[in-house]
Amino acid sequence: MDVTGILDEHKNRFKSIQVERLVPVEFDLGLLACFDVNMIDEAQLRASQKARDTYLQELSREGAQLMINELFSLPTTVDEDSVYATLPAIRTVLPREKPAPKEKPMTRWEKFAKIKNIQNKKKSRMVYDEDQGEWRPRFGFKGVNNDDQKPWLIEVPGNADPYDDQYKARREEKKERIDKNKRRAQRNFEENLAVEKGMKPRDMRKRELQSALVLSKGSTASMGKFDDKLAGEPKVKGLKRKFDPLVKNSDKEKSNNMEILNRVSKGEAKATGVVNVRKAQRAINNAKRSKKQE
Amino acid sequence: MRPLTDDETKVFFEKLTKYIGRNIVHLIDRPDEPYCFRLQKDRVYYVSESIMRKTTAIGRQNLISLGVCFGKFTKTGKFRMHITALPSLAQYAKYKVWVKPNGEMPFLYGNHVVKAHIGRVTEDMPEYQGVVIFNMADVPLGFGVSARSTVDMRKVDPTGIAVFHQSDNGEYLREEDALF
Repeated sequence: MDVTGILDEHKNRFKSIQVERLVPVEFDLGLLACFDVNMIDEAQLRASQKARDTYLQELSREGAQLMINELFSLPTTVDEDSVYATLPAIRTVLPREKPAPKEKPMTRWEKFAKIKNIQNKKKSRMVYDEDQGEWRPRFGFKGVNNDDQKPWLIEVPGNADPYDDQYKARREEKKERIDKNKRRAQRNFEENLAVEKGMKPRDMRKRELQSALVLSKGSTASMGKFDDKLAGEPKVKGLKRKFDPLVKNSDKEKSNNMEILNRVSKGEAKATGVVNVRKAQRAINNAKRSKKQE
Repeated sequence: MRPLTDDETKVFFEKLTKYIGRNIVHLIDRPDEPYCFRLQKDRVYYVSESIMRKTTAIGRQNLISLGVCFGKFTKTGKFRMHITALPSLAQYAKYKVWVKPNGEMPFLYGNHVVKAHIGRVTEDMPEYQGVVIFNMADVPLGFGVSARSTVDMRKVDPTGIAVFHQSDNGEYLREEDALF
């Protein structure tokens, strides 16, 4: 029996899976995308609506066909009921949604270290605790610098009072260190803020101090009236209300009143030329729609 | 005494336009003599410039009143019209309501105007607009705010409120001490 005729007929019912492209099409199969850089036939696009639609449909079918061809060339794994292709990693670089973070300003120490060319030596996080015979974190939870690791005996240093509590001194020393670090961090923050605002840190500190001074001086029951003056205390200038002169040019007053009246009667938006964007958009859309319906 | 600031003028004009609309122009720009608005102790006075110049000699504490008091600024910065402004309002009013003789007294005692008392209404009066109230002999009695538009007023029953009372001539007696 010759079935070639039937096979051919069956074949002709489908479109060919071979697609010809002048410039080879690029794929990013990780994203299931294909990029066709070939020229689009502009004459077809400008032709009648029907011709354009069929052209675009054909174009997208061919693109999809090419991508599916490519998909079938991927390595596959066979499961019980289906076949899975393993997609390669994404190659296209997508731009990030948020702007890149700003570079952090340098702290005082970092500036100093840069000048002196001091490199940061990476210390290991864990330290060997010889007393306990185990590894412990350098700081933090169960760290070796915690007070629960305090020695059971502290030698009284050379010329110290033997009745002083050395444990207390140890605690206070640590607290001091922490506080100092906090103060330094705050100073770094304030200095960087001043630089950001384009001021000298010293000037900014001075201004803040003066405003705080003015505020605190006015915070007594008499609003600072009976307080002693400090040396170099800044002079406070309050805001003065300013009114037009009682008797003025009547023509000028008249025109000013007229202007205000125009603004009041026309509505604020119309007089100042401010456009309500949403309203304008709606008007344009309505005009477009009515044109389309025609 | 001082001229109004721009913000105060705006608030004041916004209130005034509710009664007389664009006719404020006639108050600002008078053919006979220049007039101006001046503020004295929260009250706005409409005064001719010549009188205003003369009163500059009087101290702020001693000056009780000058010209025509149009109303006063409340502590919250709103403006409230006074009955003394009625002659100017009546002259330029956009919307008017005439009450029948049997409705005059109830209105002058400070009550709202009910529909049964209305003799005549300006055509095309919208809702909640400032209106001036006259008696049938065209004497202005006071002013208020329309409760219904002219079209809707026909549907209201006779006892329904047509105009909300704001101010009436009876205040010259009732509020004698606080008016000026």
